[in-house]
Amino acid sequence: MSKVIVCDGNEAAAWGACLSRPDMVAVYPITPQSSLVEYLAKFIAEGKMTADLVDVEGEHSVLSVLHGACLAGARTYSATSAQGLAFMFEPYFRTPSLRMPMVVSLVTRDAVSPTCVWGGQQDAMTVKEVGWIHMYCETQQEILDTIPIAYKVAEHPDVMLPVNVNHDGNYLSYGVARVELPDQEIVDSFLGEKNVNWHACLDPERPMAVDPLTGGAGGIGPSTFVKYRKGQCSGMQMALQVIEEAHADWGKRTGRYWSPLIEEYRMEDAEVALVTIGSMTGAAKDAVDEARLDGRKVGIVKIKTFRPFPVQRIAKALSKVRAIGVVDRAVNFGWNSGPVFQEVLGALYHLPVRIPAMSFIGGLAGADITVEHFARAIDRTNRLAAGEAATLPVWLNEND
Amino acid sequence: MGAAFDTIAFKASLCDGCGDCMTTCSKVKQGASRISIVPGAAEAVFELAICRQCGDPKCAMVCPSGALTKDGGSGVIGWNSDKCIDCLLCTAGCAYGGIAVDQSVSRVAKCDQCDGDPECVKACPTGALEFRKAGSIYKEYGEREDLFVPGLSGCLGCNSELIMRHAMRKIGRNSVLATPPGCIPGMGSVGYNGKTGTKVPVFHPLLTNTASMLAGIRRYYDKIGRKDIVVMALAGDGGTADCGFHAVSGAAERGEKILYVCVDNEGYMNTGMQRSGTTPYGSWTSTTPVGEHMKGKTQDAKNLPMIMAAHKCRYVATASTGYMEDLYEKLDKAIEASFEGFSYLHIYSPCPTGWRIPSSKVIDACRLSVETNFVTLWEYTPQTGIRFTRSPDNALPITAYVKMIGKYRHLSQDQLDHIQTKVDEQVALLRIMAAESPPPPPAHRQPAAPAASPAPAIGGDASQPPVRREISRN
Repeated sequence: MSKVIVCDGNEAAAWGACLSRPDMVAVYPITPQSSLVEYLAKFIAEGKMTADLVDVEGEHSVLSVLHGACLAGARTYSATSAQGLAFMFEPYFRTPSLRMPMVVSLVTRDAVSPTCVWGGQQDAMTVKEVGWIHMYCETQQEILDTIPIAYKVAEHPDVMLPVNVNHDGNYLSYGVARVELPDQEIVDSFLGEKNVNWHACLDPERPMAVDPLTGGAGGIGPSTFVKYRKGQCSGMQMALQVIEEAHADWGKRTGRYWSPLIEEYRMEDAEVALVTIGSMTGAAKDAVDEARLDGRKVGIVKIKTFRPFPVQRIAKALSKVRAIGVVDRAVNFGWNSGPVFQEVLGALYHLPVRIPAMSFIGGLAGADITVEHFARAIDRTNRLAAGEAATLPVWLNEND
Repeated sequence: MGAAFDTIAFKASLCDGCGDCMTTCSKVKQGASRISIVPGAAEAVFELAICRQCGDPKCAMVCPSGALTKDGGSGVIGWNSDKCIDCLLCTAGCAYGGIAVDQSVSRVAKCDQCDGDPECVKACPTGALEFRKAGSIYKEYGEREDLFVPGLSGCLGCNSELIMRHAMRKIGRNSVLATPPGCIPGMGSVGYNGKTGTKVPVFHPLLTNTASMLAGIRRYYDKIGRKDIVVMALAGDGGTADCGFHAVSGAAERGEKILYVCVDNEGYMNTGMQRSGTTPYGSWTSTTPVGEHMKGKTQDAKNLPMIMAAHKCRYVATASTGYMEDLYEKLDKAIEASFEGFSYLHIYSPCPTGWRIPSSKVIDACRLSVETNFVTLWEYTPQTGIRFTRSPDNALPITAYVKMIGKYRHLSQDQLDHIQTKVDEQVALLRIMAAESPPPPPAHRQPAAPAASPAPAIGGDASQPPVRREISRN
């Protein structure tokens, strides 16, 4: 019988990690992630978790300690935010290339400067091309459930890639909700035996060199390097299917079926669509419901899996609308838009028709993206559908 | 360099003055003992008087009858009783009191090492006497497996290659080895294009995270009960003292059970000989070049092993390939300590390419660096503090070392003086740290006296703090 608790998103993430039975967690505090690692330490102190807790001197070493543990055969977990992720970047870059199946929660936050310790997705969006799988959660329950799912995906032999389970700083990290804790046996049987270092290990019983120099002049040329890079891409593409299977399996065992790649909300007859990501989606759904009451046919495509980007799914989901508004919680400086907007444009290229789209940037400086913000986004997207020219981008809270 | 010979070594710290060696010697030789254990300056400390079989024996020089000659094969100074005229000049010529007189017959009695199997050593119950065989390292470790492939692509005369081959022979296969970016992977430890250069599990960590990765490996193996694996780094000075220092310091503070060997060649030699935090003052490097406006590095090196001792690691030691027996003893202790806590071994390693010295002079450079106190050999444990393993007394002037190193060729007298001063300061500080601990302070400190007003400067040349410029507001 599963237990029901009331907790915030950080505690939900800690429970998700706890139930996944990692062998080692390495921690370093940073707002708004700190309480998550405090929960982990508490669980370990209380004996709820048997993981080895490593309190290291910085995020760079958080991931480095876990690299060593993973190559020795451990299941590993950690969490970070913003500047911590930036400091972690060097080993972060290396994790997917070494095909280390670890899970790290990103409690997303805007990046300094201007100094801001509040929620935002600038941190996670900035590292989208590194090769980690990125899944964004909408609710506290989804955070808890997605962490075991993430291990299942990461450790799948066809995938073998690290996963970031992302939840919005402040809104989800500190927001409290009802959360069901699944029984440990359910999670144990869902995950099965771990086998994290069958492909690359540091073990005197199986001596090998991990990460020899490749390519360059001489030798056998760049082919080894290309093989590794292609393998990463292949693992990413395999993950699209594995993520769906893992979510379905989890649903069967717990009764909670989360949309694995994208969620379509009231899209059946939608003429205009919003694209959302993360916890903002709740307010977006309210705004869509209100617009529907006014007779406007609006729907939402919410992205859960951002990496690998579900190109075909998104293109298909948006193929019948007349205009699209993409709402971001981060900035793409090079495109003068939101980062998700740019991604969606790429997906739309797969369609035979050209659908006008606009970028909305909201929730900067940790501010809420309100129902009213979404109502404005819907209005503007409707005008876009009616033929008004697109402008780039709309800063939803610039006058707040 | 002369030939190497076997010798009877004495560890005063183990001698309890029982005299068994003397009893045995006089019994075997049927006369006066050739070995003497005599009370030393302090209580319960003993000194050894025995023929040292000197390379340049004064006893033979003073002998008027040619009765004492050094054997070219064994190194033993033989005494020919037929030639000896019993003048006993040799007993006065020997500075070590190494030639005894058998009073019963008034004749010379000296050690002949019992034809290579000295009885006194066998009789010693504490291990204070040891018969050290020349080439013992070769004999003991030569048969062990070399864990690196032959033909590593290091520079001619590379000292780092010497260190890594010796260290891994000693440590063996049950180990996990990190060789972060630098000369060691550069010469092929981790191999190329999928082929390894090492027979043990080896990896190429980031330059910055060696100690952290090792900590993760060790912790997991400890957790699953595989506690006998040596988890170790062979890292350069750049990744240890500079950009990887946070990881080293953090791992040491947490007492991670790893063996961290820093091979210090005083710069980023593999990337083209750039300056690092351990590059000494005055040194030419490719980023501290010599020209009209710059004469090499303008800062002193940081003393990394002292910094590690301040972390209260389980074991810290410095070593040099010029003193291999010392290095091996420390390696033994460092390996053992790495199962209990953080173990740090700092090996000074001249780089013939980057230091501009002929490859044939690398070991000479190692020796002279120690003989001038440019490098000091010591070890540290939290229980014993710092202990010199080679006395810094009677050091040669620093020029004896610096003059042979091409990267110092440009040094002015002022710069040489600076180096000598800093070396002297360094040794003085180490001597203080190596001395016996001072008595503990009284339990309650007296309240501090009111601060006296600063004394006026004597004379007019006292240095003044810089005058700060006021910035006016707009």
